Amino acid sequence: MTAIPRTTDFTADETYTPEGEYRFQNSREAVRRLPFPFPDDEYMYSMNLEPHVAAGTGALRAAFDIDEHYVSECAHRDQMLRDMPGVHYLALPHMMEAQWDMLELIFESYSRDFPEHFTLTKNGNEWRWQNRLLGIDDSFTFGDPATLPLDPMEYSTRQAQGEFVVLEEKDNTLVIGAGMTTQRADYSLQFNLGMNFAEFHGPVPKLDTMGILDRALKFLLRMKPGHPVRRVNWSLTVNPRLETSVETLPDWAPDRAKVTPENAGEMVYLRIELQPLHRLPRSNAIVFPVRTYLVSLAELVAHAPDWAKRLHRALASLDPELVDYKGFHRYHGAAVEWLAKYDDGAPLATGYPWIEDGIQPGPDSVD
Amino acid sequence: MLITGIKSRPVYDELTPMATGLSHVAAAQGSGGGVLVRLLGEMTPEQLATTTVLYSTESFTGKNHLADLQAFPVRELLVFPSNTEAVRGLDAFLLTAEMGTRLYLSGSEGFIGTSMQVATSYGMNTDEVLREHAGSFVRRVWCAHCSHYSENVTRRVFRCPGCERDLVVRDHYSRRLAAFQGVKADGEVPGELPDDEELDT
Repeated sequence: MTAIPRTTDFTADETYTPEGEYRFQNSREAVRRLPFPFPDDEYMYSMNLEPHVAAGTGALRAAFDIDEHYVSECAHRDQMLRDMPGVHYLALPHMMEAQWDMLELIFESYSRDFPEHFTLTKNGNEWRWQNRLLGIDDSFTFGDPATLPLDPMEYSTRQAQGEFVVLEEKDNTLVIGAGMTTQRADYSLQFNLGMNFAEFHGPVPKLDTMGILDRALKFLLRMKPGHPVRRVNWSLTVNPRLETSVETLPDWAPDRAKVTPENAGEMVYLRIELQPLHRLPRSNAIVFPVRTYLVSLAELVAHAPDWAKRLHRALASLDPELVDYKGFHRYHGAAVEWLAKYDDGAPLATGYPWIEDGIQPGPDSVD
Repeated sequence: MLITGIKSRPVYDELTPMATGLSHVAAAQGSGGGVLVRLLGEMTPEQLATTTVLYSTESFTGKNHLADLQAFPVRELLVFPSNTEAVRGLDAFLLTAEMGTRLYLSGSEGFIGTSMQVATSYGMNTDEVLREHAGSFVRRVWCAHCSHYSENVTRRVFRCPGCERDLVVRDHYSRRLAAFQGVKADGEVPGELPDDEELDT
């Protein structure tokens, strides 16, 4: 993967909380580089795993993508970890080898793909890590936790966008052994830690009867180091709130009742999840990263009108069981009604935007 | 037998003597005592002589099998007035247990789950433990908001004694916490509660 130096303005003064009044917005460029997850007008689960190879100039250019929200997201993670210790970051005691694997994977990827921001210098096991975006310059001994201020996984993922769940292979299944999950979508890490693949997918409807779960697990168990795979997923959420865990549900769920067909454009956000899975070389664990992107319906209409039309159609035809599971039953109608105003019914391209002839954001209606 | 569509719930076994065991410990609560009576009846005299029984007389349904259990010539029968004390007794027993020990558990899901937490802390593998559910379908529930554990929950919607919120019990079970998940029932609109029902599975 070659790195293409580019100039990104990092928006440090951003918040993802009501206390911070949700000061968050996407630039036009940030919207048009999203890994838009709707290849067709109708949406249903599929085994949408594909090799994680560099594609295009957007979010799929790097192994682990960063964008203009990097600095503010790292600050948000720090805030969440301080607010609720023991809730968002957990690692079972025997996961230390996988933790070092994680650190290596993130730091090597960042320094290779974004050399203007990150530098990793190795001299045997003596490593130096420079993160110019956060003003970090640390030296440590790889494999010796005493030389780092925090667990290797906490140290590295505090400097990364997205969340990370580490799955260990045991008895032909994958078990959650560690997680940095300050951006959870309605689940609890404390509760799910130690669960196997079938168990933590238990609440998801239809997967099992469709046979997707078994096939996905078999596929993942065959993964080899150096050959990552990816999939995209999505949901809707209200406000640009990253932390929507089960634990804090009383704080964020009331917002769902505040959406109307008039304010849906500003209040409702498409939450896109890019999940690039890697087999880790020493521990043989698999890391399941969830890189989350938030974009309001109004931002989609303004900067990516064809994606807004596609989203309208996918939501309008969505299976009611998925509407319930994804938690937007109460405002699904308002979102569809708001989006309908911007959909002229014109035919749209099929396929993800990063494949040839896939759906592109469309002409820019602003400017 | 507990058969439901809940994927994260443990699949329970049927207790039967494990021939590979050099020493046996059988712990039960309430109705689980009846299961132990059946298990002990299937054991050889040698197995009985190397078996320790722990029995808690705490019962949600009022079943007490102590008299029947006393009829077996086991190595040791320890009786506890509560499930918490029986689990603590199991912890003390396993502290000095030797390789080749086999564990049998029977009773409510909460009792089996909390006993399994103890067994796991001693590194016991699933092939060294058998679990059989007995008695009512009461659930142990963890409150996602205040981390309070409620024992013997019988309704889909209940008030958390820890934070006074009305919780809905999700059909999602954590072995690590040995509990189902409870979340605020009227999270979206205060007072708008989901349908209540008896938790009969």
